[in-house]
Amino acid sequence: MKPVLLIAINFVREQRWPILVMLLSVLLLAFLGLTTGAAGRGDDLLFVFKQVAVYFVAFSVFFGCSAIYNERRSRRILSVLSKAVSRQQYLSGLVLGITIACAIYCFALGMTGSWTLGEAGFPVSQVWFLMICLIAACTLAGTVALMFSTFLNPFFAAGATAAVMVVPFVLSRTAGLSYLEFFMPVSTLATTVITSSFNSPGKVSWFPVILAVLETLLYWLLSTRIFSYMDIAVSVE
Amino acid sequence: MSYVLEFEQVTKEYRGFLSRRQFCALDNFTLRVEAGEIFGFLGPNGAGKTTAIHLAMGFMRPTQGNGRVLGQPFGHAAARRRVGFLPENVALYPRRAERLVRFYGAINGMKAAQLSKRAAEVLEMVGLKDDAKRNVSRFSRGMLQRVGLAQALVNDPELLILDEPTSALDPVARVTVRELLLAARRSGKTIFLSSHLLSEVELVCDRVAVLHHGHLVRIGRTADLLHSSERTEIMARGITPASFAGAVVHDGMVRISVLALEQRKTLERIWELGGEVISVVPQRRSMEEIFLEATAEPQAITGKGAP
Repeated sequence: MKPVLLIAINFVREQRWPILVMLLSVLLLAFLGLTTGAAGRGDDLLFVFKQVAVYFVAFSVFFGCSAIYNERRSRRILSVLSKAVSRQQYLSGLVLGITIACAIYCFALGMTGSWTLGEAGFPVSQVWFLMICLIAACTLAGTVALMFSTFLNPFFAAGATAAVMVVPFVLSRTAGLSYLEFFMPVSTLATTVITSSFNSPGKVSWFPVILAVLETLLYWLLSTRIFSYMDIAVSVE
Repeated sequence: MSYVLEFEQVTKEYRGFLSRRQFCALDNFTLRVEAGEIFGFLGPNGAGKTTAIHLAMGFMRPTQGNGRVLGQPFGHAAARRRVGFLPENVALYPRRAERLVRFYGAINGMKAAQLSKRAAEVLEMVGLKDDAKRNVSRFSRGMLQRVGLAQALVNDPELLILDEPTSALDPVARVTVRELLLAARRSGKTIFLSSHLLSEVELVCDRVAVLHHGHLVRIGRTADLLHSSERTEIMARGITPASFAGAVVHDGMVRISVLALEQRKTLERIWELGGEVISVVPQRRSMEEIFLEATAEPQAITGKGAP
């Protein structure tokens, strides 16, 4: 477990600048809350809150897509995997790293959201439920991206992840195949965040969250299986 | 005989993602490295040395064949706990040298209590004691290579696999690394050393193997390979160099290099001319000569019979 944790912390450390940039957007929300008066500008604050929340889903996909690629291109992966670290542990470290990055961001956003939106009348408990939805969505999106990046270039991995996340959701809404929505609950969870409003903060439904956690485990297992067959020393260019 | 590293008829082919073209980096490669020796692994660029090392470390899978590291199959994570590896192009995370070495020790399962002491020790061994608190992103290539060596040594490995460990080092650092390798051998460790620096290999290695186009073309004890029975060097005085083809004057004496078969005839001629023979020494060959000779030959030592 120790190597997994160390690899995860190392991943977060390596991604500290993108995470800090994203945290600046949270700071923007705090700044708006501080300067505009939360009570009177609740809808605007909620709009910004939802925006910065959903952006992080895209960021987690980028984290997942580029993690292995960057390590292989820089050849840093060789020094790590030359130690007593199995490939499964290595990928687990990356998944945990993505989860920690999401958790840091969601915690900061949740704290700011509780303060600004709570003052404007939005239920604080619902803010934290939305943050849990966001963590689950980001972790699943990041893990799916990581799975594709074990054998695809980051650009194609991002495309494949986007397709897997969006296509079932779109089909479920357009073709009436509602069960497809749960094939990949990232879009469902993101929609929960996006559609919440002061009039209708949304209902607490744990089913998509649990499904996202289970699917994260499934994709993690799949990625470790694929990654165990990959020649990691071969140039990725 | 206990072997710490074994390749058993290993073949590795690279194939393009979409193309059908194949490139065979290693072909039916068999090699065994004994415990406690420094084994030199030579070959020109593209010979398959790094591929063999990467297979041993489990970074890639052989197309055919198999092998063992410390008795475990290639890629066995627990076996790597007792292995130290220095890659050809050292790439490290940008952080303080001491922290970095501790990080690599920690992911290798070392306890925090022993890590601080060990990290300081290995950094001192590679001559980076005063730079331990500096970020490695500001290090020169030679210093990076030394940090790479420190991370390979941090777990006090039984087997050290070093891919070009001295390529970026200055002569002083090279001597430090050479002494480090010799000290490691004295303490019973095995070193698998891939290098282009033939003089280094000649100085430290007990055995060497030469790889060419994925085939093992020469293997043997360094002393045996360097000793040549083909030519002899005769030092004489009281004769003129003009009497012998290729003879040169050196420190007032005439040095003649002849084929071993012509040694007797040459000695008799020296005595006939009234000269005095000072010494007759079988000529030592350089590792460079052996290397060039081996890589020029088309034949290969392959299959089960190879050592």
